[in-house]
Amino acid sequence: MRKAIAPIVALIVAGAGLATFFALRASPEPVTSTYFLMDTVLTVKTTGGDAATINEHLHALASDVDSMTSYYKAEAETVRVNAAAGKGPVSVSPEYAGLVKAAVAIEAIDHGRTFDIAISPVSSLWGFTTKDFRVPAAKEISDTLAYSHSDQLVISGTTVQLRDHRARIDLGGIAKGYSLDVMEEYLHTIKPQPRQVIVDFGGNLLLYSGGRKHDWKIGIRDPRGQGIIGYVQSGDAFVATSGDYERYFERDGKRYCHIIDPSTGYPGTLNQSATVITDIQPMHGAIGDALGKVFFCSPAETQRSLFQTIQGQGIVGIVLVDAAGTESTLGPISFVPTAAQ
Amino acid sequence: MKRSDRITAVVILAAVVLVVVFWIVMHHTPGTLAVVHVDGKVVATVDLTSHEVQTLHITGVLGPLVIVADGKGSIRVAKATCPDQICVHTIPARSPGDQVICVPNHMVITVEGKGTGIDAIAQ
Repeated sequence: MRKAIAPIVALIVAGAGLATFFALRASPEPVTSTYFLMDTVLTVKTTGGDAATINEHLHALASDVDSMTSYYKAEAETVRVNAAAGKGPVSVSPEYAGLVKAAVAIEAIDHGRTFDIAISPVSSLWGFTTKDFRVPAAKEISDTLAYSHSDQLVISGTTVQLRDHRARIDLGGIAKGYSLDVMEEYLHTIKPQPRQVIVDFGGNLLLYSGGRKHDWKIGIRDPRGQGIIGYVQSGDAFVATSGDYERYFERDGKRYCHIIDPSTGYPGTLNQSATVITDIQPMHGAIGDALGKVFFCSPAETQRSLFQTIQGQGIVGIVLVDAAGTESTLGPISFVPTAAQ
Repeated sequence: MKRSDRITAVVILAAVVLVVVFWIVMHHTPGTLAVVHVDGKVVATVDLTSHEVQTLHITGVLGPLVIVADGKGSIRVAKATCPDQICVHTIPARSPGDQVICVPNHMVITVEGKGTGIDAIAQ
């Protein structure tokens, strides 16, 4: 009897020991850090490497972009450009000039109808810059719209000029995505490489596994309800979402979201959300961010033709939820709805 | 039964208990839990599986916030002194990964729960 039991005991104890060993040896715990800047939340979750230091550095990089692009901060290049509107060219850093050029290049894909960094005087009319929300009169909107277009912008080398003294630019529609570009560039240089880094900057994501070919499951937030409507899968990528559900105000039961359609001067109403997934290439974070607005402000027919024109330029796929709440995708990604899981 | 057999039985029992405890710890699937952070520090945790309405008064960077768990699995900001009231308008959080954020107060409510396999949520 005793002899039969002893080996079993040994086996169980050894098994428990081994299991404990492997569990403790398994992947390092992720370090999550939360920061507040650019009027939103930056959450960084790093696994492996010197995670806490990496998180701090990523925050510092985002802070630098904020200091450069902010609409409000005295030291920001945007503030200098806007202050000199109607007066003459302003000398800016090569980095800033490059970002403005990238923004203007995205505007050009549909002639500034859906994304325009110079729309900010109209956004201000609606109170989105001061948070003193109101619905402006149609005349006010059309008058302001007349000088709220990027044709007011003259870029020559590293000088930027706004022709009309009332014109203003705001890089808020591209700065978060650009921050992800800067972060990704830094992550590439780290030795030893972290296993995984997930950066969530106000809902815009950088998913980084440093060439490990991790297959990420990216949830798509339900624009009207709780949780997610489903997910898509992708390798390392930038993910940018433009939606009408976070920043908006309501008057007389009507929702006015913060994304102003530059073609009308009114908040976009054609879609509830547009999520653009781009691959890891220089400036693709910024480009994806701007394209989110382009697709958010476009009707379904235009979305398809626009996608055809930019196809093959690093766009992994686009997930759209139209005004009726119907989802669709563009590109070679498959969307798995929550109900089907 | 001999004394030594009894000892063996106790040892086996202990080993089994050890394995079971280990298993539970490693595969612990927590009930859905809401974690409230201010400036990155946890200031409260709320069990969303509780059927009782729970009201929390916390202090954000800007001022006081009232957080209510409705006893049906959702949690929301009921009152805040921030100018834009985005947090108050946010759809109550319920599913793992859902968040309610008040930027002026540096306050984030995050719902944690058993693994959904989702790495991140685009929003």
